[in-house]
Amino acid sequence: MTGLLILLFFLVAGTLLQLEYTLPVPGSIIGMLLLLMFLMLRGRTPEPLAQISRTLSPLLPLFIIPVSVGIITQKSLLADNGVALLVILAISLIPGALVCAAIMQMGGKPRD
Amino acid sequence: MIDTLLHLPLFWALLTIAAFTLGQQVYKALGNTAFLPPILTGIVLVSVVLETTGISFDTYIEGGQYLHLMLGPVVVMLAVPLYQFIHVMKKEWLRISLAISLGSGTTVAVAAVLAHVWIGDDAITITMTTKSVTTPVAVTLSEQLGGISALASAFVIITGVFGALMIPPLLRATRLDAPQSVGLTLGVCAHAVGTSRALELGTQQAAYSAMAMTLTATLHALLLPWLV
Repeated sequence: MTGLLILLFFLVAGTLLQLEYTLPVPGSIIGMLLLLMFLMLRGRTPEPLAQISRTLSPLLPLFIIPVSVGIITQKSLLADNGVALLVILAISLIPGALVCAAIMQMGGKPRD
Repeated sequence: MIDTLLHLPLFWALLTIAAFTLGQQVYKALGNTAFLPPILTGIVLVSVVLETTGISFDTYIEGGQYLHLMLGPVVVMLAVPLYQFIHVMKKEWLRISLAISLGSGTTVAVAAVLAHVWIGDDAITITMTTKSVTTPVAVTLSEQLGGISALASAFVIITGVFGALMIPPLLRATRLDAPQSVGLTLGVCAHAVGTSRALELGTQQAAYSAMAMTLTATLHALLLPWLV
């Protein structure tokens, strides 16, 4: 439970900062950065945090299902634009992937 | 009795967990194939049940919100892998940072411009900008930016499946197929689904993919709110 407490502490801190300073970045992202800074200052991951991370990581997709099911409220949008959206998603991958891999191999293939 | 059950918020929480568990079983039975992630099976099953029973999304989400509540803590939790990757990437940080920022920037810019020109709906264009970010962050971000969070999730999952399908052959054909390049590209362009595809290709691919996915999500979460 200590691990969950740490996560909630940083979530509350991040949300508070966001609301207090009306930042455009979501509170949970600010909380994540605060936790990252905490870990960097501390120099290692506390065991309770490593433990909750091992427990919750496999369940991560489960927590996204409810909001994703909202897709059923977007039927008319999908009927009108569904094909265009699929084509855009497929085409836009090609230049991104090539830029990314080209930079990784600039100056020859890495050895190991 | 059935009607009471269908209006019980806890029933929908139960059904969501059941659909996800079934999705995990199917995923395992098919040898952990990247093309049918458990989240996709889960979403489809729940949507089919809602459509057949005629229950509205508003009723469903009364139960779904119990699970949705955990999204905040799991986004904060991404700091744990991110902290580990910072150690790993010290060696080649400049190359990795450039590949991640320019690669993800290119795919998002192309997608947003195409959506703007072709469809011309601002909410769709905004939602499109979150397509290269891992789902929990994409959903949170698009809510914040004025996009459509349900659509954000669909874009991210579809991008992931397309990316897992297209990227390895594309990079093989262009001879940009060193393990590090393939892994990093899968993580940048196809996030979690790409990472499970990378796992099939090898451990080095998987490590680079997981790192790239987390770094891309962080970068976009910080930059997009100021750009959109």
